[in-house]
Amino acid sequence: MNAGLRVATAVLGKDLRLDLRSRDRLGHMAVFSALVVVLLSISLPAAKRAAALWIPALMWVVFLFTSLLGLSRSFLAETAGGALSTLAGAPCDRGWVFLGKAGANFLALLGVELWTAALFAVFLDVDWAPAVWPALGVALLGAAGLASIGTLLSALSATARFREFLLPVLLFPLILPVLVFASQATADALATGAVSGLHWGALGLYAWIFTLAGYFVFDQILED
Amino acid sequence: MKVVELVDVAKHYGAVRALDGVSASFESGTLTHVAGPNGAGKSTLLRVIAGLTRQTRGRVNVLDVDLFRSLHARERGRVGYLGPEAGLYGELTLTENLRFCARLHGVSESRIDAVLQRLDLGQVRARPVSTLSLGFRRRAGLSRLLVTDCELWLLDEPWNGLDADASASLAGELRAHRESGRTALVAAHVVGDYAALFDRGVVLHGGRLADA
Repeated sequence: MNAGLRVATAVLGKDLRLDLRSRDRLGHMAVFSALVVVLLSISLPAAKRAAALWIPALMWVVFLFTSLLGLSRSFLAETAGGALSTLAGAPCDRGWVFLGKAGANFLALLGVELWTAALFAVFLDVDWAPAVWPALGVALLGAAGLASIGTLLSALSATARFREFLLPVLLFPLILPVLVFASQATADALATGAVSGLHWGALGLYAWIFTLAGYFVFDQILED
Repeated sequence: MKVVELVDVAKHYGAVRALDGVSASFESGTLTHVAGPNGAGKSTLLRVIAGLTRQTRGRVNVLDVDLFRSLHARERGRVGYLGPEAGLYGELTLTENLRFCARLHGVSESRIDAVLQRLDLGQVRARPVSTLSLGFRRRAGLSRLLVTDCELWLLDEPWNGLDADASASLAGELRAHRESGRTALVAAHVVGDYAALFDRGVVLHGGRLADA
């Protein structure tokens, strides 16, 4: 196996093992998103038709805030035990380490997206049935964009003093296009069962650009 | 053969000059003790050599390459850095950590059992690293370097937290490392009974290096 691919899969496998072992990260995200959706279901009771217009945007905002919880802990295991230097010593371009970390974040965020979508179905009567495939596609691309940007910024802020504050400040302006396109695409999917090519292209391009940027910049980020 | 060559290396953190024009070379098959008071730049020197911290000025050649060049990224696997912490994941067991390191470096996992036995870590192999005592964690960090079979060891205060037996075991590992023609730089305030172990001593003071 190619050395870079081997390193990326090792890092991905290790992160998934850590997530499943401690359940801290996934558990916190799942509980947080459940609480917010329950609160929304209580505060938006009467006008469900009007609320339906807001549902896609609300869902992506809930998902974004939930993701922050997970992304801010993405490099906690590395900084706690000095394992950042172990990763930095991997015998390949450090961009492969980024791909492994981003891959693990992608899977975690995708899981949280599906969980959040299920909560919206249960508590806010969102009917995903006519839009399941386009909505799943949007979820995949949205999670990819958020995972690539989030992993990069999480690494950047990992050793910073105000990590929990710094990450959202850096993330929100950069993630805005993903939030806008994903909300619009989800709204289209729910209304018509289809998503426009512009939205597919924009979400895909954004995820691709930040994955490439992460691959090439990660080397500098891992250095002191 | 020069394993490490430093030419006019400086590392500045703002106004602080952690390294200030360090030039030195270290030959293969030697053990070098890097001494110096707190804040002398010992840890920075090791991190620069390990390719973890980029120097502000100067040239660093390790195993004949510049580790910061993407072209030579593969060579990073030949350098083993053990800092103040073990470089392992607290939530994973020691064996899981070592398997991960072996995969990262593309070496066989079959070495793990032998290394654990050699460092007397068999009894804690199935325990999460976060539950180990400081002494066991230090040894666990060393086991990482042994599993990945690095040519150049860079050890930062490796005797910290070790009892007498574990200290002697570490000295034995350093001896064996040299006997196999490999190289180590050990940064430590004091090396106590093990001063004779080293072929060479250098002293860092105010970011400048001198032979002891």
